[in-house]
Amino acid sequence: MLSIKESVGEVNSTRSPTLETSDIQATVLRPRPTPYCGQYVILRIGNADQGREMLRRILPHVAPADEWWVPSLPGWLGIAFTFEGLKALGVPQASLDSFPIEFRQGMAARAAILNDFGANAPANWEHPFGTPDVHVALTIYAQNNQDLQKVLDLARKSHHDLPQISVVYQMQFGELPEGRNPFGFKDGLHNPHVEGSGPAGAGKGASVKPGEFVMGYPDELGETANVPVPGELRRNGTFVAIRKFHMDVAAFRRYLRAQASSPEDEELIAAKMVGRWRSGAPLVLAPDRDDLALGADGNRNNDFGYADDMKGMKCPFSAHIRRVNPRDALKNDIVAVNLHHFLRRGTNYGPPLPEGVLEDDGAERGGVFLLIGAYLHRQFEFIQSQWVTDGNFISHGTEQDPLIGNNEGDGIFTIPKKPVRRRLHDLPRFVTVRGGEYCFMPGLRALRWIAALNP
Amino acid sequence: MATQTPTKPKQDQAVADKAQHLRQLFADAPQYAKTALENSLAQLTSFGSKARERVESAGRTGSRQGKVSELTLIAPFAPGGAARLRALLQLRDGSFDDTDLVGTVHDMRFVFLDNDTKLLFATAYDGEWDPYIDDFATKITDQMDVIFSACEGWPGIRSAKVKDWIVKHQITAEGWYVAHPDLTVRDIHHVKRVGRAAEEFLDKIQ
Repeated sequence: MLSIKESVGEVNSTRSPTLETSDIQATVLRPRPTPYCGQYVILRIGNADQGREMLRRILPHVAPADEWWVPSLPGWLGIAFTFEGLKALGVPQASLDSFPIEFRQGMAARAAILNDFGANAPANWEHPFGTPDVHVALTIYAQNNQDLQKVLDLARKSHHDLPQISVVYQMQFGELPEGRNPFGFKDGLHNPHVEGSGPAGAGKGASVKPGEFVMGYPDELGETANVPVPGELRRNGTFVAIRKFHMDVAAFRRYLRAQASSPEDEELIAAKMVGRWRSGAPLVLAPDRDDLALGADGNRNNDFGYADDMKGMKCPFSAHIRRVNPRDALKNDIVAVNLHHFLRRGTNYGPPLPEGVLEDDGAERGGVFLLIGAYLHRQFEFIQSQWVTDGNFISHGTEQDPLIGNNEGDGIFTIPKKPVRRRLHDLPRFVTVRGGEYCFMPGLRALRWIAALNP
Repeated sequence: MATQTPTKPKQDQAVADKAQHLRQLFADAPQYAKTALENSLAQLTSFGSKARERVESAGRTGSRQGKVSELTLIAPFAPGGAARLRALLQLRDGSFDDTDLVGTVHDMRFVFLDNDTKLLFATAYDGEWDPYIDDFATKITDQMDVIFSACEGWPGIRSAKVKDWIVKHQITAEGWYVAHPDLTVRDIHHVKRVGRAAEEFLDKIQ
């Protein structure tokens, strides 16, 4: 009988080459510092010469992946461009035309695929997200505000006397107490390990071919990306889907209160939605109650799979972390999970909602995520359309991710349980998209290539 | 996303126009066909006001009704391809366990046309094939290639050109009926499971 191949890894068993970490931007491969603070800045380029001048000045300050832990700067800076941005810089038409269609169209134009409708629709995004005025995205990370200001100052000096370069958006982000996200869960716990990028570390999850995340190396299909052209532009570059989310913490707390029979039950429902307890302890390893030691242990809190939980009794099929990173949960399905990873660089913004408050205080709070991969179409777009905003892949009909799905007050969440499953109804939208962009994050040599263009 | 429903009076007018157009086209048809049309028209025109999943585009080519899409393609056989595919299908003898594993295919038919020179392949499936093409290439490489290598120019499921090959030979159906556009293959499995459990429960309490 014909059988489905066990894993992608089996097909491509060749060793991966070592990555050129001196040419890849630090933002791609390295986690944010702890503690962290930073700023996202969006620039508009009104003139190509001035745009390339800005790029030439900022280039020496763009952090490569091999240097971030001994940074020559008090923080580090990443730079990426939208399709409109590359146009504004005078990148040749043949190069522009060679980019994948989703990048050329931009995230807003892909709303139908991404299920960004209702409150998440681009028409409701913050300005300038989704407009042709977003050209350059700067991501600046530092360990404290003083250092951040120094890096920001360098960024400012790259364009302060160039009148055609304008700052069209900026926002501050920073760590919340105990490294939690606004909902109160420890975050940033999982990322796939990029082969050849350094030691894997214990329990750090699947090892994935570097070509999935950085162009110029073999990917999980055994291929090496051949667009955009030329190779100088492509090599060591990647794509970033930026998503800014607002998190309605009060609505989340009210929902838990209304559904639960006790404070313990509130915590259980919350954990079932996420797939982890607030400490970060995963449900498959701690099914009944939170385990603070497990949550805090970086060697253990990510060292698990779903092979012993194929009925979802511990971690529901629909739980957020089981959807966006199914690990081995779909091994009997047609899906080749290694084709659908991204690197997540998440940051939080806004003040925490004080403990116990159930009414919204009107403050803007949430997260900004950089979802990084060489193939937006089969990574970010696949995960968002097939796994986050649909339930068919887990035989859950149209049930969406309980936390980040685009529910409109009529969402459901299924918790497998014996003798009968528990099903929650009327889920509202806890997380709202405030904006997003597809960006190209080139390698350092490619940045110099762009800066040296002479159209 | 919700499809905008046109306002009712406009819709009635459009239906009346289509009926009028049909009458004109039937002017040269045999009398029994004209009679049949007149007898059918009352029923046919009433469909317009009935709420039902609308047929829309399924990605690149093909139509979609609710959650179900159709794919019809006609491609010339490669030399010897018809004999290979026929023998392969005979060996399978209706067994498509590997297709069960795909989990989104409602049906497939392989029809040999014009004296074994062309393949007509028709299938109904859930959602879109486009997002999953790389998964097929990875997990059912051989199952895809052993079938479709029967066709002229099949580039191989792992080729970047495979999407273009499919689109090139795909023909969108002019008409198409789905009994349950709101049920995927997985939904149907689920409904069957729940139905069995309900029957069992009823048997116990009677």
